[in-house]
Amino acid sequence: MKRSFPWKRAALALFVSVLVAAGCAKKQTVKSEGTAGGAGTQAAAPAASAPGTAEVKESAVKEAPPAPAAAAPAEQPMLAAKAAEAGVAVTEEKPSQFDDVRFDFDKSVLREDGRKTTQGVAEYLKKNPRVKLLIEGHCDERGTSEYNMALGERRAASVMNYLVSLGIPKAVLSTVSYGKEKPLDPGHNEEAWAKNRRAHFVLQ
Amino acid sequence: MKRSSSHITHQASTAASPGESAALLSVGLLDVASTTPPGPPGRAPWILARLHRLASNLGGKFGPGAAAVAALCAFLSFPMPADALLYIDINAPGGKRLPIAVADFAATPGDPSLSRGIPKILSDDLALTDLFDLVPPTAHIETVTAAHFSGKPLSFPGWKMIGAEAVVIGNVESRGGNLSIEMRLYDATQGTLLVGRRYSGTARQARSIAHRFANEIVYTFTGVRGVFGTEIAFSARDGKSKGKEIFVVGMDGQDLRKITSNRSFNLFPRWSPDGQWLAYTSYRTGAPAVYLRNVSTGAEKEILRFGGAKAPGGFSPDGVWVYAGVSQGGNSDIYRVRVVGGAVEKVVEGWGLDVSPSPSPDGRRIAFVSDRGGSPQVYVKTIGQAGETRVSQGTGYATSPSWSPAGDRIAYTARSGGRFAVFTVSPDGSDPREVASAPDADCEDPSFAPDGRSIVYTYRKRGYSALKIISSDGRRQRTLVSGLGDAGSPAWSPGR
Repeated sequence: MKRSFPWKRAALALFVSVLVAAGCAKKQTVKSEGTAGGAGTQAAAPAASAPGTAEVKESAVKEAPPAPAAAAPAEQPMLAAKAAEAGVAVTEEKPSQFDDVRFDFDKSVLREDGRKTTQGVAEYLKKNPRVKLLIEGHCDERGTSEYNMALGERRAASVMNYLVSLGIPKAVLSTVSYGKEKPLDPGHNEEAWAKNRRAHFVLQ
Repeated sequence: MKRSSSHITHQASTAASPGESAALLSVGLLDVASTTPPGPPGRAPWILARLHRLASNLGGKFGPGAAAVAALCAFLSFPMPADALLYIDINAPGGKRLPIAVADFAATPGDPSLSRGIPKILSDDLALTDLFDLVPPTAHIETVTAAHFSGKPLSFPGWKMIGAEAVVIGNVESRGGNLSIEMRLYDATQGTLLVGRRYSGTARQARSIAHRFANEIVYTFTGVRGVFGTEIAFSARDGKSKGKEIFVVGMDGQDLRKITSNRSFNLFPRWSPDGQWLAYTSYRTGAPAVYLRNVSTGAEKEILRFGGAKAPGGFSPDGVWVYAGVSQGGNSDIYRVRVVGGAVEKVVEGWGLDVSPSPSPDGRRIAFVSDRGGSPQVYVKTIGQAGETRVSQGTGYATSPSWSPAGDRIAYTARSGGRFAVFTVSPDGSDPREVASAPDADCEDPSFAPDGRSIVYTYRKRGYSALKIISSDGRRQRTLVSGLGDAGSPAWSPGR
């Protein structure tokens, strides 16, 4: 016979019949009680957690209790008040008779100028052995907060380690990092950033 | 018999399963016309397939017969979602939006804040997804009444005539301060009910109830639950205070509220997997500590006391552990702390600064930041196994990883061309893509939405800061919060 096999029709027929078969096999009958009786209530329900979605389901939404004011830690009133003051006080810049130690971007190693400043602090501490010193570590505003928090801590530790190497007992020294949360200079240029990459000395 | 037909592009959501999406991408889109006349129930749908794209390529070369056979093979090579007649292609660029009408609700007693207010919340939510075209209420012909919820059918031809392929109706009964809201989603072409829910709650919960149903609508069409009703926690300056407080805002920008109020530094809020608790760092006693606060009740406990600088990261998916970076002696390592009992385990240690742990959705791995290589970069590590893989490439500074709850991408901040931009990368380090950047501003601190399809991040430009939400493909974005000083460190809550 000269006529070629009708591939096109056969393929299309096969294809369509498979589709119809698949459609029939996967059709779900869904309960429709309580809903508007509709024609062909066939739910296009994705397989998974929502059963019987053509049926209207009940959900009670629980009322969340009203949020009280921020709970203070359970302490004696006097201690709580003192802690609260200390908490607010950390946001204030504390004056210092010493210069800040400055750092390069993303670095915590002491430069020559930083070493000189720290040597001056060491001498003061040796003359005043009952004084305690807090070393704050800070970063400029660039970069992200969590990494800068750790970097500030490393800067403070770097200065503390140098003081210890100069003979200051560790017991009088402590560190805290404020990351980039407490810039000395609020500007947004290299000059401000250089001032903000610092360790700051606070006598206690 | 003339059959009406509508054309919806079908593609299963890539969130369905990895193998499935790969098969779909390789064979192109199957354009299906559903042609079920609204007849007696039980009649099988008659589906005609128009072969799109793939057929046009192959047909040209080998003839339409080959195209039909190829499509048949393609069809058989992946499972169609069961019963998915209306389905939205959420990943096709410039894909067709589904025209949907949200009718004014029936309300007893009549109250426009309910009959108009609740549909508006639904419409606004659906509009945020960019998957729907909302047919405006001014075009609606039929008025929905309580009768439509006790047997009276909608007049679907009227809805189809104004262009709606799906219709949402609702009935609100309010008594005292309590509401009963029934909402239904119909396929207007077939006249079938797709999903219905009846909620009861207080009047104040109307918004939350609307969000839940919007999530049902998105789930019905895409197979992925919507994220309406979820929230973003962040840290920002409060007025003139020099400190920073923790805030929470709805993902739609509504319901902004302050969580802490101690005027100290309150930083790095991170959600527990059940969405009930926030871990955060506070300096309110004068030194940094990590607390766990219940956002509903305000109950709080301190969970991390040792070390100096510290910041919570993510939780394990079972809620048992919270991960944190903690500095001691100037070195920072990653620990995890039992939420109940406080036992501590070290997870990552080394000479570098190790910070910012972000667990994978299955909890078996964490992404974190380390500068052990000389500059901060993002690494991935399997918990309990030695070694880690660097996943950030081509940049001198990469921080702030956020592992997508969908599992397939990790977002992070990286320095690019002199400023910071948000990237995503595969957990094995391949296929990095820039998602959010601005020529003269920094885009930082990304956090994924629970469906992995959006990212909230901090936009900062010389003192101005805002939180923005961008789609994971980088195509659409909107501002979430602006005007609060130094807003940052956003964290998107789990699904609700």
